[in-house]
Amino acid sequence: MSSFVPGLLIAISIATSAVNVPSRFETIAKQAETARTQDRVPEAIRLYREGTHLRSSWIDGWWYLGSLLYDQDRFSEASSAFQHLTNTSHRGPAYAFLGLCEYENGHYELALQHFRAWAAAGWAGSPELVDVAVFHFALLLTRDGRFVESLYLLASVAPRLGDVPELSEAMGLASLRLRYLPENFPPEFRERIWLAGKAALYAAQSPRDFARADEFAERLEKRYPRHPDVHYFRGTIFTFEGKTAEAEREYREELAISPQHAPSMIALATIDLDKADRVEAGEFARTAIEADPNNPEAHHLLGRVLLEDGNLRTSLTELETAKRLAPDSASVRAHLAMVYTRLGRTREAKAESAALLTLKNKEEVMAPAKVKLGAPKERAH
Amino acid sequence: MICRVLICRVLLCRVLIIASLFADIAPRTAAASQSSQTTTRQSFDQLLQSAQKAREQNHDDEAMQLFRRALQQKPDSEEALWYLGSMLYEKEQFAEARDVLRSFLTLRSDAGPGWALLGMSEFQLREYPRALQHLQHAMTQGMGDRKELMQSVFYHVAILLTRFERYDDSMDMLQKMLASGSSDPTLVEPAGLAGLRLPYLPAEIPPDQRELISLAGKAVMALQMQSQEEADAEFKRLVAAYPNEPGVHFLRGAYLAELHPEVAMGEFERELAISPSNAIARIRLAQQLITAGEFDRALSLAQQAIQLDPKRASAHMMAGEALIAKGDAAEGIKELETARAEDPSIGRVHWDLLRAYAASGRKDDAGKEKAEIEKIYHGTSPNHSQSLGDSSHDSVRQ
Repeated sequence: MSSFVPGLLIAISIATSAVNVPSRFETIAKQAETARTQDRVPEAIRLYREGTHLRSSWIDGWWYLGSLLYDQDRFSEASSAFQHLTNTSHRGPAYAFLGLCEYENGHYELALQHFRAWAAAGWAGSPELVDVAVFHFALLLTRDGRFVESLYLLASVAPRLGDVPELSEAMGLASLRLRYLPENFPPEFRERIWLAGKAALYAAQSPRDFARADEFAERLEKRYPRHPDVHYFRGTIFTFEGKTAEAEREYREELAISPQHAPSMIALATIDLDKADRVEAGEFARTAIEADPNNPEAHHLLGRVLLEDGNLRTSLTELETAKRLAPDSASVRAHLAMVYTRLGRTREAKAESAALLTLKNKEEVMAPAKVKLGAPKERAH
Repeated sequence: MICRVLICRVLLCRVLIIASLFADIAPRTAAASQSSQTTTRQSFDQLLQSAQKAREQNHDDEAMQLFRRALQQKPDSEEALWYLGSMLYEKEQFAEARDVLRSFLTLRSDAGPGWALLGMSEFQLREYPRALQHLQHAMTQGMGDRKELMQSVFYHVAILLTRFERYDDSMDMLQKMLASGSSDPTLVEPAGLAGLRLPYLPAEIPPDQRELISLAGKAVMALQMQSQEEADAEFKRLVAAYPNEPGVHFLRGAYLAELHPEVAMGEFERELAISPSNAIARIRLAQQLITAGEFDRALSLAQQAIQLDPKRASAHMMAGEALIAKGDAAEGIKELETARAEDPSIGRVHWDLLRAYAASGRKDDAGKEKAEIEKIYHGTSPNHSQSLGDSSHDSVRQ
């Protein structure tokens, strides 16, 4: 009996306090917030862990737990926390963090998937998060062989970030079409990556600093005149500058070194089309297709050449192939609409014109990843 | 050869750290252990004890396994995290060492040697931005009396600073290392790279540039070691062998700036003919021209440098000095204030402002600058070493 009484008292006491004091979860949540705001990181992590264990639907808890672990560079644990947020209102930034965590964990394919999901969810996050995520997204696109998309992203942050060594290195890798990450390219590539990166970065500034871009590109060419992709890169800088003759010379130089270099053939075909040299443009486009059958721009160019030659049926075949390979290219849709019009297929022409309008509207805002950045290609380093 | 040197440097610091560090953190761990539940503590303590014993008997694999088991019971054990992290580092399992050390440092952010090992692990994994950040953190936290570890951290910080294009900071680090009297041959290439302002690690030097970088490094080392004759000879050899390489004439110009200003100006001009976008060469030339009383040209060069590198404090400093010398105090002060905002640590800017404010009758502002100058120089002896880079890194900067 005597031993029962204290037990009873404790039970009564617990029952009473349950009514008057906050639940264990609420206490932990409060303590976690206090620890976090007072910068007591290890304690905050422990408390958020406990809180999310008690209530797995605690969105803020997962968010702060993930963020604190991420700030401590504990990416594997941070990733586990952010996973709980992909079906919540924090979905957008959570995907960005997941991409960053998986990048650091070395799970590159998964990281790329997360970045695509992040882009599809509207590129959400603070400006700092967006910059970091865009940068890593671009690195993975380079590794995936999607150099143009990578440069598109890097160039979008270059004017704001300025002359940052990490950024120029990333631009160097993409510019020289090297499917590596900054952590794993062969050390002997460093000089050429640096030189190309500097040139690309200065060319991407606002206003564009072509004088400095040229200085570095020239140095690159002088040091590596026989290396693949160097003359092509030099050609693209000249193209940006509007120096078509110099660009053409460089693309031809590249083909002398790398005869199967489809991007140079495409660049030359484009220049030929502008000069109305449809014969050579067609030859280059056909050779580019042989070298890289899945290159949408090669089919697009051949389609344009054939369209101008009046060879509408064959043009249509090429442009349809281009559309299949790059469904989001507004330019391909524009040419398809022209061919359909000239063939008298009004309904299809109208459909392509409508698609063109939609794509152009999408381009005015930053397009979702699934639209703009396509699917991954083959394996990389 | 360079890789061997790096490996030696990494190995050098290994043996020294593991045994000694934990003495610093043991009391906190003991206190933490007491708060554990009795049953867990017994089991955890036993595991930890066995792990320690295995480690002391050089049964490393067994020790690591036992530390891992101990961590399964108590993931926040500082002692187990530290020993496991440092042993993994010793075993060159850098990725796992990095992850374990990160967990350790969440608990012990004051452990300098922990940051050092983390930074070294990240360096080995080629995560250079983080490696630099964490090695610098190790320097801030201090590494006690572990001289070899400190040297290794300094070396890696210096080469990483160069890779991140912070050549003047790198040169400052190398200078400190050389000031200790060491003429370590492994510093030749880092000195050459920083001097020529080439952002590579020694392991990334293109084979056909190794000789150039080595020559430049020897010249820089001779200068820093106060061997004037040797420096003269090395700089002459460098310019004769590589008259058209970017960075060579600038380096010689910086070397001659005090000794032979006229020759130095010629070298800066030659550098600008080779590298037209070199902002630092413009700044150094402007500095020489101000000394020579050619203020118009100095101003023009400083303004070009600002256009090339708007955030470089020394460019604004030179523009300010030239404007004031030309009699435009208001605009000159504006430029000097910009320089101060960009980098408040440059003593020369505060001196310039002190004089300019005083001349304009702005006594309060002049007083503030005086206080700043005293703060900058407080407790430091004047450093008269010669700058081989940006002029803000000369004797007036601390």
